[in-house]
Amino acid sequence: MRTAWRLLALCRPHLPLLLAGIALNVGVVLANVGLLALAGWFITAMALAGQGLAPIEYFAPAAAIRGLALLRTGGRYLERLVTHEATFHLLATLRVWLYRRLEPLAPARLQTHRGGDLLSRLRSDVDSLENFYLRVLAPTVAAVLSGLLLVAFLALYDPPAAVALALGLTIAGLCIPVASERMGRAPGRRAVAVRADLRSDMTDLLRGLGDLTVCGGVEDRAAAIRARGQALTAAQRRQARLGILGGGLSGATATLTLAGALCLMVPALRAATLTGPELAMAAFLVLAAFEAVAPLPAAFQALGETLAAARRIFALVDAAPAVTEPRQGAPLPSRFDIAIRGLRLRYAETAPWALDGLDLDVPEGGRLGIVGASGAGKTSLFNVLLRFWDYQAGNVTIGGVPLRDLDGDTARGLYSVVAQHTHLFNASIRDNLRIARPEASPAELHAALRRAHLADTVAAFDDDLDTMVGENGARLSGGQARRLAIARAFLRDAPILLLDEPTEGLDADSEQAVLDGLRALMVGRTTVLITHRRAALRDMDAVISLSAGKACSAPPDWALR
Amino acid sequence: MKRAAPIRPAMRRRLDGWLRGESRCARVPLRVSVAAGLAGGVALIGQCWLLARIVDALALDHGGLSEIAPCLYLLLLTVGLRVAATVVAERAAFEAGARMRDSLRERLVAHAATLGPTWARTHRAGEVVGTWLDATESVGRYCSGYLPQAALAALIPLAILAFVIPTDWVSGLIMALSAPLVPLFMILIGKGTEALNQAQWRRLAHLGGHLFDAVEGLTTLKLFGASRAEADAVATLSDTYRRATMAVLRVAFLSSLVLEFLATLSIAMVAVYIGFRLYYGAMHLLPGLAVLMIAPEFFRVLRALGSQYHARMEAVAAGEAILALLETPPPPAPAGTRDLPGPVRTVRFEQVWFGHGAAPVLRGVDLALARGRCVAIVGASGAGKTTMADLLLGFLAPDSGRITVDGLDLAAIRPESWRARIAWLPQRPVLFHGTIRDNIRLGRPDADEAALRQAVARAGAEGLIAELPDGYDTVVGDRGQDLSGGEIQRVALARAFLRGADLLVLDEPATGLDAANAALIAASVRALCADCAVLVIAHDTLSVRGADAVFRLTDGRLVPVTRPGDATGAAAPPTPAHHAAALP
Repeated sequence: MRTAWRLLALCRPHLPLLLAGIALNVGVVLANVGLLALAGWFITAMALAGQGLAPIEYFAPAAAIRGLALLRTGGRYLERLVTHEATFHLLATLRVWLYRRLEPLAPARLQTHRGGDLLSRLRSDVDSLENFYLRVLAPTVAAVLSGLLLVAFLALYDPPAAVALALGLTIAGLCIPVASERMGRAPGRRAVAVRADLRSDMTDLLRGLGDLTVCGGVEDRAAAIRARGQALTAAQRRQARLGILGGGLSGATATLTLAGALCLMVPALRAATLTGPELAMAAFLVLAAFEAVAPLPAAFQALGETLAAARRIFALVDAAPAVTEPRQGAPLPSRFDIAIRGLRLRYAETAPWALDGLDLDVPEGGRLGIVGASGAGKTSLFNVLLRFWDYQAGNVTIGGVPLRDLDGDTARGLYSVVAQHTHLFNASIRDNLRIARPEASPAELHAALRRAHLADTVAAFDDDLDTMVGENGARLSGGQARRLAIARAFLRDAPILLLDEPTEGLDADSEQAVLDGLRALMVGRTTVLITHRRAALRDMDAVISLSAGKACSAPPDWALR
Repeated sequence: MKRAAPIRPAMRRRLDGWLRGESRCARVPLRVSVAAGLAGGVALIGQCWLLARIVDALALDHGGLSEIAPCLYLLLLTVGLRVAATVVAERAAFEAGARMRDSLRERLVAHAATLGPTWARTHRAGEVVGTWLDATESVGRYCSGYLPQAALAALIPLAILAFVIPTDWVSGLIMALSAPLVPLFMILIGKGTEALNQAQWRRLAHLGGHLFDAVEGLTTLKLFGASRAEADAVATLSDTYRRATMAVLRVAFLSSLVLEFLATLSIAMVAVYIGFRLYYGAMHLLPGLAVLMIAPEFFRVLRALGSQYHARMEAVAAGEAILALLETPPPPAPAGTRDLPGPVRTVRFEQVWFGHGAAPVLRGVDLALARGRCVAIVGASGAGKTTMADLLLGFLAPDSGRITVDGLDLAAIRPESWRARIAWLPQRPVLFHGTIRDNIRLGRPDADEAALRQAVARAGAEGLIAELPDGYDTVVGDRGQDLSGGEIQRVALARAFLRGADLLVLDEPATGLDAANAALIAASVRALCADCAVLVIAHDTLSVRGADAVFRLTDGRLVPVTRPGDATGAAAPPTPAHHAAALP
């Protein structure tokens, strides 16, 4: 319930538009029901008049029928426009809200042990949330409102029939969808789980096709996938059958309600408090009224999905940032030496220390290489320096200023970072470079590319600086992407250089090109380099080895390749 | 709000035909579904007639419950019939969709096995699995939703007309005239969606995906102090996205506006005409009521087809991806039939050429591998080292020249028989979902505990397995314990070592390992070499220090490297004498 309220609170800025959409939706439903009810009344009244039983003034109702037809179609078009407009406004608000909430959490709170997971789930969750109004809120509210209005209108003519209608609408619009959603939950969950298993079975088969071909396991795996596919179909079948039965029963409810309402109207008809045409009108009204609740089953289905997505997103954005910003940030240091004393960091109360009493010094303009096994604390050190994580004990100063006194953006302003994974945005090379210096001129961009040994490559692209790099830089090779990151670092022109495995995963030629670029970049900058590649360490003044979160001064030769 | 990229008309026609052809495997349930759906439609007509009779009896003749009782009983019967027909029709439709989907999915998976590892390596697993799983679902929805609906959209209106025309030909005429216009406008709706051309579509996809790109790059944005300013970009682009999409929707909704207008206006016209003819005594109330009751159903069936229309569009887009996979020809690979008689002793590359068109990857490679000998090949990435391994493993066949196994052409040997003699460490080894133990025993499921432990010790993986929560029984892989690249590498090495093969092929064995582990692996390979032939592939000579012979692959040829240390610097100039040494 709390989740639903929070979700509604997010919708509030667009309330007028949202309400307009719902009002139009109600209007369309009423126009449609009105059209049929009036038509039923009209033909019956005309039949009576034709037999000379009751005179009729027929111009107004005939015109009203045509008017309602126009109202319904025009209203429907307008309703779709308004609800979509509202949805997209909501989308913009939601996206900005989400971005602002996620921004302080990155990267510490957005990392899971499997990075891709979070983001792919975020994508579908945001999608669910963005459709909340269109798929859930608008159809539900509109169905309830128009249902109530129709029942009230019918009650003016024949209260018992109105009760029957209310009952029928509740059964078809509420009881059956809720029951089938409830009962469908277990098979639904099972279908989702089997589907996920099937997906990873398939991924296994594809990624390991070589291993399996050589070891002779392809047939078995394919058979396992077939069996899993059949299990998925079985789970979906159970889920589908519930929905089918629900649909069938809803249809029956409409007819039975009408039959019941007709029976209930007999006494009033006999007592002449209800006329024949009014009975026909009521009959058509009851039959058409069920169209008002038709979107509800889908809305209930979507509601469960949306709330689950919202819960996940709220849980994500409610995490406390990993770093407490100082009340008033200290000014930038004037020197750029790094001194670390007794630094201790762990990622959770119960986790082992990732850094456990680390001491190290880098003089201004000095170059320190850091080696060590994975898990020795190298990346944790960078996380501290970049103010991505707070540390529990010890002191870190840059140019004599305690790191904790600097706010995150100021601290990060001191560094240029070249890492193994640098995100490239799905934009042009120009835009990707300009992140480092938004006002950079084309000449500066070209100069940075030249110094990163990337100028020739970029010149060979069709669109030069305007070449799109694709999603995650997909159109560039690993070495090119890394050199683009180095070009960014040149543009950034910060006093301290943090290099995190800048050549890992590159072949010898690309490594050489990247190192050439880095060598030029290091001139005059305080540099800290994490690597376990020998070639990259040649340019360092000093090399230390990290082990279990502590520094050992003499790097053993075996630690290098 | 997701839209598939538009497809060229010629391709779409072809895909439409293909989809219909593929749906043949679901013929029986489809027919059952349509037949039951039609029966439901007939029951619906009966229902409307009965309801009209009741209203007529009450409204005009002021009858009582006793007069309408027979009709009520019959009505209950038709209600039961309709529920039964609906359930049968939709269950059969589900089965039809499931049948088409499952058959396609199974064919796709089977086809991947024939396409082989070289194909799998060049495709992103996520995308292919998306086609296998999600695209086939789309096609299944087409089969369970669109196809029966398309048949019913033709049959039920005909059944309704067959009832209405004799009952009241004027109304029948109105409905019969407006009905053909409905599919016409449906096509126009389709065209409206197509009006969204490729460039527009890319732009919308780009705008729609911007938030996720920004979130994914948050760390990078923060490093450049640009993360807060990016919120404005998110706002601006979301707004642009809204305006761009709404511009498209305003047009797209217009065609459905016309469609609705047509249906609603027809109903209004039917009502008014019936009213006036009743007034002038030209017809009775009962048929009038029945026709008015059935008219909305007439258009509802047609509109239902409209809502299935995008299921068809989606299926066409999905079909394109599926067809592209199914029509990928398998690469030429050896497919002999002879079984190897005994343990393999020597394997030779004899003037092997491979590569497409003007720039072959391999240009006459000669190489001899023999039991007891460890041969290493080094070279820059893209030089063709992995291609050599692929040829050796029988994933590919040479364009010319041949590979012989103890004098027998590899092309004549049954691939399974040959591969049973090989252990291979690929460049990117994969741990499957399952225990560490099963993963290591992949190539030799019957291996005993002692052999397992020995292979693990040789791969330097004892420590890392001991530290896992459940040791050898720890579940790894996609949904299991996370291992680092170096850890996966060592487990995969243990897998290769355990296999007990005649030929051991190691592609970059030192990837992700520190120097101590790399040295341990090199020693283990030497020890294993006593019982098998070894081929090590690496991009530098440092990790192949223990090899008996080292060759550098450059320009599609193998050049011997005299001392391992030379390989990273200038290689010794190739001489005929050196070249001859490659074939002992």
